[in-house]
Amino acid sequence: MTEHTAPGGADRLAGTLDAALQRLELARPFAKPRFQGQVLDIVGRLAAAPEGVERLYAFAPRMDAAGLFHGSDYDRPDALLPQLVAGSLDGPSAAATALETASLLRMLAIAKGEVTHPGVHADGARRFLRQVLALNMHRLFGVADEAARARPREAATRALFRFLAEEIGLSDALEALVAEIWRILAQRPIQTGPAREMIVQTAMTLAEKGGEIEGRIGADRLVSALFGPTTASLDDPGLEEYRERLWGMEASARMSEARGLARAMHDTGLVSDYHAAFMGWAMEAGESDLAPEALGLGPTGLGSWRRERALIEALIRVAVTPATPQATLGLAGLLERGLLHQAPIAPALWRQLQTVPTPSVAERLAAAFGWGATPAAHLLAGVLQVLGQPLGVGQGANPTCQSARAIAMWALNDPDRLLHHVAQATRHDAVRMQFEGTEIDSSALPAGLALRAPLDADPVSVLLVPHLDRVYAEMGRLCLGRSGDPHQWINPEFHGWWVGRACHVAVHVPTGALADLEGFLVRFFLSYHPACNGGEPVIHPQPAGVAVTDSSGRFIGWHAIAVLRVAEDREGAMRVYFYNPNNDSGQDWGGEVVVSTEGMGERPGEASLPFDAFASRLYLFHDDPLRPVPVAAPDAGRIGAVAERVRGSWAAGRADLDPGALAAAESRSGGPPD
Amino acid sequence: MTEKNPDKGYVALLGWSLNAIDAVDRFDRRYVVVAPGWAEDYAKEHDIPFIKWDFDRLNERSHEIAQILKDEGCDVAIPLYEETVEWAGAINSVLLKNPRLLSQSMLFRDKSLMKRRAQLAGIRVGIFEEADDKADVIRFLKRVNQTLLKLDGDVNDPIHFKAFDKAGCLGHRVIRTVDDVESISDTEFPALLESHLDGWEFAVEAWIKDRKIQFLNISEYVTLGYSVFVPATPELESWRNAITKEIEKLIEAFDIDFGFIHPEYFVTSDGTMYFGEVAYRPPGFQALELIERAYGFNGYQGMVLAFDPKTTKEELDAFFPEPVKDAKGHAGVFGAYPRRRVVSQMQIPEETANDPYFEFHELAPPLEEKVTKRNAFGTHWGLVHFFGEDAHRMRDLLKKQEDLDFYV
Repeated sequence: MTEHTAPGGADRLAGTLDAALQRLELARPFAKPRFQGQVLDIVGRLAAAPEGVERLYAFAPRMDAAGLFHGSDYDRPDALLPQLVAGSLDGPSAAATALETASLLRMLAIAKGEVTHPGVHADGARRFLRQVLALNMHRLFGVADEAARARPREAATRALFRFLAEEIGLSDALEALVAEIWRILAQRPIQTGPAREMIVQTAMTLAEKGGEIEGRIGADRLVSALFGPTTASLDDPGLEEYRERLWGMEASARMSEARGLARAMHDTGLVSDYHAAFMGWAMEAGESDLAPEALGLGPTGLGSWRRERALIEALIRVAVTPATPQATLGLAGLLERGLLHQAPIAPALWRQLQTVPTPSVAERLAAAFGWGATPAAHLLAGVLQVLGQPLGVGQGANPTCQSARAIAMWALNDPDRLLHHVAQATRHDAVRMQFEGTEIDSSALPAGLALRAPLDADPVSVLLVPHLDRVYAEMGRLCLGRSGDPHQWINPEFHGWWVGRACHVAVHVPTGALADLEGFLVRFFLSYHPACNGGEPVIHPQPAGVAVTDSSGRFIGWHAIAVLRVAEDREGAMRVYFYNPNNDSGQDWGGEVVVSTEGMGERPGEASLPFDAFASRLYLFHDDPLRPVPVAAPDAGRIGAVAERVRGSWAAGRADLDPGALAAAESRSGGPPD
Repeated sequence: MTEKNPDKGYVALLGWSLNAIDAVDRFDRRYVVVAPGWAEDYAKEHDIPFIKWDFDRLNERSHEIAQILKDEGCDVAIPLYEETVEWAGAINSVLLKNPRLLSQSMLFRDKSLMKRRAQLAGIRVGIFEEADDKADVIRFLKRVNQTLLKLDGDVNDPIHFKAFDKAGCLGHRVIRTVDDVESISDTEFPALLESHLDGWEFAVEAWIKDRKIQFLNISEYVTLGYSVFVPATPELESWRNAITKEIEKLIEAFDIDFGFIHPEYFVTSDGTMYFGEVAYRPPGFQALELIERAYGFNGYQGMVLAFDPKTTKEELDAFFPEPVKDAKGHAGVFGAYPRRRVVSQMQIPEETANDPYFEFHELAPPLEEKVTKRNAFGTHWGLVHFFGEDAHRMRDLLKKQEDLDFYV
């Protein structure tokens, strides 16, 4: 016994781990769980001991081979997600933290070629670790914030990240972080908080460890866009000082400030606080002529400016504040989309300027956004953003994809209707709609899927989602007892006349079995594929349902999206471009179905997939019952291939509904939807 | 599955124990698990040989399972739980054509019969009596204390109350006052009552073949129901010869040809040994795991050797190490129980976590905040494992744990 070593020391714990690992190694697969617990207990303590992580790393291949990951998701390292690492490390369970630690060290051993693992190459492991480090960059700095201090295992976790950073390289990780930020910003989200936070992390890393970073990593533009986008703000002087400088400037210098701000905004999708300060100053100083330059307007936007200058100035005065800088980008987008040329929009925005939120609405907005600006200002800023960046609406961490999708589709397609509901809800904290002639008043309904109003979404969502959610649920209730998927009746009533009245569902709702999958796919091709439908484009965004799968192709859940357009990408491949209300559309759905968000012809906020790959995750779509006559049927082999991808992924384990039963079910529901 | 030796026995494990199945699956004997239907799917999924059987009270169907195992080609049945001991006796009396084995197993299942049998064989037992109701308990408590010349108002010497047919510490209560008697529920009767002996309580694990002890381990209790370690301190081990003689008496008294026994004893300060009880199955409190940690051999595999009629002497000699001398250290466990009435989380005391003997814990987080009063032994919330070189340090360390909070 080595009693002379420090109590709890790495040496002794390594010996203890050795004994526990031997038992785990010997155990049969069915008996491993019990011994896994013992090993994890020791792993957690060794990780916390001085130089424990280094000792633990030496055990990594053995822990893997002994079956530490047997029976858990970690048994498939190729399916692990970097975004989930922090959650396990910081969670309440010591065993989960220890398991994640062991998994990361195994990944490092794979990355360094010290061990091989089926399904993960050294490169893949290295990429995974770079992303993990990028997402946890803040742990490499000296100071822990309040929340971090409250975590019992933070010290060990930090030691782990320091070790990983040394082994993988900090510059590599930073590079991955910066690429991640650019990728998210390219989707032009309304909510920029997470991206801003990551940029702050990057800036801090560069400030503290700049000497260790090799080469350019592309972070400069992001940092400067937030903290010093122009000549006069380059040294990050503070807003007061910046306004002083503006007062003392020549006209040409002010013009160059305006252009610099616009350029930074349109390059990155981020609006600096200095930009907001500039807009406010220009209104105050009678220099509103600078606004079109500072918004970076093109010909359409300039036309809007000339037509509705008084309205736009009023919007800037109320909505653009240092607490709501992103409203600037929203306004620019709104003008550039030419929305003010639609008759109802300008008066509707005047109405919104005059509308005072009810106390309950004001309270909800303040709870989500604080008092940096008034609730009315936050809401107006949100309205500008939603109208300017319709595809930037995200559902936050809320199960309300239908409501988020509705807001985005209205902003895109039916902006005056959106403004109508916003005004309703601002004044009355209620939304009214009709379902097949029945009046629905959200304020008289119980809460829907989201029990509370979301706090982590944009202002319009905070205002509307609780109501939309209730209305949607009520429409579902009114469909109870009908045979077939209720979306076929709800979606057109809820979203608008432009939703196709025919609805096709690949799944038989009562049994969950596949219902004529091949027929469903053929119908989708006939309706949406230009080679089949005679080249007719998608006119209005159409709600659709996808079966989301994880990176191994396993079914996760049903999700609401909207099909926006079908077009060839630059390489001539036919793609479906769609809107996904989740906050980051870039996802790996397994089986080479990797959703792209840029570089494949996407407009900001669009996600896209090759047509067949998209079809392989689709389970519900709408089209019009009176379609033009199809020009060509899809090739049977191609449909078969897509069907195979369906059955090999989200529909694995689902039976095919017997055709006879299907016909019977359809006759009960009054025949096929078309 | 490890390569199985067709020339060796085919054993049936009675009862579902993953640890036992794991050990036997890795051993060279063919085996089949006989357990209730709830385990069937799991067994199928993991390719564990399985025969479904519900071990209710022994009844006329015992012959049915004996016949099934005989047809299957099994040589012997090994009980894993108290409840399967008499089933093993009934089955083995058929498989080994020895009717005596059934009556022998009945003795193991009844604590009162067991004590009388031991007494008849000249083994020293404490004062004991059967109780059918609370009145019997009160009478016994009073009589024992009268005998000890206690006057009314003196603090009573405690008595022990043990359910007739429960394993180990389950249903074991210490009774000091008439109030304690009130807390006993009627379902715990009939029960065995014993006088309390001040002394050293310890347990023995003995693997027996051909009426000879193949390996004898002494497990030292630091505090009954809380902690135990192996091998014992040199002081207790100094009694090994005397203890071996006691076990040999048991082998004669209970007519044990083969198998595994787990008796408990007291040694009083003058060196007199009192027999407590004996079980014909693996002990609780992870004693076999402690033995494995200390000696390196697997106790379940040892049981298979001891039960299998086709085991040779060479195999036994090669399998079992030399007691005490071959131990790599002392392995101990402490069963933690909340000391506070209200707890919110499990937390290893720093003192324990930093102790070089501390290995790992298997404590469950609290399921509810309010802690019910501990009313019987053996109801700990999980075990804390220790391993180290010095027996005295181990003993003191385990004792120390009783004063620490694992739940706060």
